[in-house]
Amino acid sequence: MRFTKLAIRNARETYRDPLALGFLIAFPLLFMLLFGAALGGNSDFSYTIGVVDKDKTGVSEQFVTQALDSVPILSIATFETDTLAGDSLKNGDIKAFIVLPSGFGEEITKSWQQENPDIVLDLVYDESDLTVSSQIISAINISVREFANIKIPITIRTSHINVETEVSQMDFIAPGIIIFGLLIMVPTSARIMVRDKETGFMARLLATPTYPWEFIAGYSASMLVVAIVQIIIFILLAVAFGMNVVGSLSLAFLIFFLTAVCSISIGMIVAALSKSENQAEPLCWIIAMPLAVLSGVWFSREIMPEYIQFMGDLFPYSHAVSAARMVIIRGAEFSAVSESIIIIAIWAIIAFITGIVLFRYKMRA
Amino acid sequence: MGFDINREPRSVKTVIGVSPQETTLSEHLSPLENLELIAGLRGISPDRARKWSKAMVEIMGLEERSKDQVRKFSGGMKRRLSIAMALIADPAVVFLDEPTLGLDPQARRALWEYIASLKGEKTILLTTHYMEEADFLSDNIAIIDSGKIAALGTSMDLKTLSMEKRTIVINAWNITIKAIDLIRDKYKEVKINGNSLSISGKYLDFKETTDFIHSTGAIIRSAYFKEPSLEEAYLKITGKELAG
Repeated sequence: MRFTKLAIRNARETYRDPLALGFLIAFPLLFMLLFGAALGGNSDFSYTIGVVDKDKTGVSEQFVTQALDSVPILSIATFETDTLAGDSLKNGDIKAFIVLPSGFGEEITKSWQQENPDIVLDLVYDESDLTVSSQIISAINISVREFANIKIPITIRTSHINVETEVSQMDFIAPGIIIFGLLIMVPTSARIMVRDKETGFMARLLATPTYPWEFIAGYSASMLVVAIVQIIIFILLAVAFGMNVVGSLSLAFLIFFLTAVCSISIGMIVAALSKSENQAEPLCWIIAMPLAVLSGVWFSREIMPEYIQFMGDLFPYSHAVSAARMVIIRGAEFSAVSESIIIIAIWAIIAFITGIVLFRYKMRA
Repeated sequence: MGFDINREPRSVKTVIGVSPQETTLSEHLSPLENLELIAGLRGISPDRARKWSKAMVEIMGLEERSKDQVRKFSGGMKRRLSIAMALIADPAVVFLDEPTLGLDPQARRALWEYIASLKGEKTILLTTHYMEEADFLSDNIAIIDSGKIAALGTSMDLKTLSMEKRTIVINAWNITIKAIDLIRDKYKEVKINGNSLSISGKYLDFKETTDFIHSTGAIIRSAYFKEPSLEEAYLKITGKELAG
């Protein structure tokens, strides 16, 4: 197959060019390191949360005094009723309060006895600060799981949003940064082909009886190797910085991989349209940076206006970010993220075909 | 070969080899890898491509550097590899665009010798701005001016075509003032530089002219028809000499 020969050649070109390789790996890596250092390290801050213990059993008391109290970022204040805790929340004395329902201790005991527990907690939080609330949810979730000695995520019923699992800052930000790293593959994928055009090497290749699809597949396939390496590095780094992968790692990998295919295919479109690196570079960044913002790689899309969210939904990256977060943070299974995966895959296929069509058109022109 | 380039571009591509004007190589690949790539894209099996590539590397004198990345090569080495890439897989028609551009005289001469050795084996279309290159290598030359063929023929055809008058250069002793007067009386265009006479005319006859010079008492040491160079022919045909 001709495309494999092209792919091997392109991989060699990339692998042997320290600058290109450095850009491919180091640039997104730098982002990950910065965010990791900024968000993944130990901090001295703590949030005061309220606890309303309706169970009033030894187990629930033990949970409050031992499990919750030992979480470094939490300070605990106990309340007799929801109303008192709610007042305290409104006054800003506490950031959130948790309600341990009747039967809580019984469910925990079930868990200790290797039975299936149904642990449901009610959490009311200050919705003005989503980041803080997500950290609190994460901390509570982890402490309950450790206390109950269970691996599955527990259910935390919140008053405003249905977050059902732990969310640390790193858990939230890492999938987005990985997607951002894969978004950067748009310019890097376009680079090799555009450089071949600029140097005239493409003219030599075009004089061989190679089909347009073989060109696109050949240039794309070489980048897939880079993509796989990138994804592995990103995941390892994110875990090192404290990302907790609740769901299936292979499912998360699939989402990242399909996203990379999308980026590579979009890169091929840019490469087919551009005559030089000077044309391709700005075009790539014009595509990549707005998509990064629209897709919520750095910030939650929930804080964005609806029309911005709608615009983001038109592209694969927002689906990739949300699906990756669902799998990594909430432990979502394939069925829960299948719609997103299908959208990303369709995008990848359409972009790939568009790249071939444009390349073929440009070849003839 | 009978292929229509518009309707059968792929068929055309199976019988051609191209060496573009820019020395376009995959810079981080070795000569062998570059050659194997092109051979592979031309449909040659990996084993044959490898053998063929090794043979081409030897022919081009690159065997000592066959595994080095070509970005470290000199211009001459890159040119040779570029031509090898056009020739690999034995295409019937080879396009060489400015194959010796930027090469030193030694490297250029070596490349000419190699290209000349391919004569009779395949059809080579070579574009060049070096007239001596075209003169040395070509069986047929097309002079292209402003994208159009201004003249087409052998080197001699073009030189003759551009010749409005003939010039005989005579080297002689004993050219006296009287002899000069006699020569100027008979021929309209005469240039004298020491012992050298240059006589031009539309219908100049070699024997008649040398006999006349001899009759003036001059002793002829050598005489020859001056042939215009291809460069002069080019300038005449394209009219560029007027602009200059």
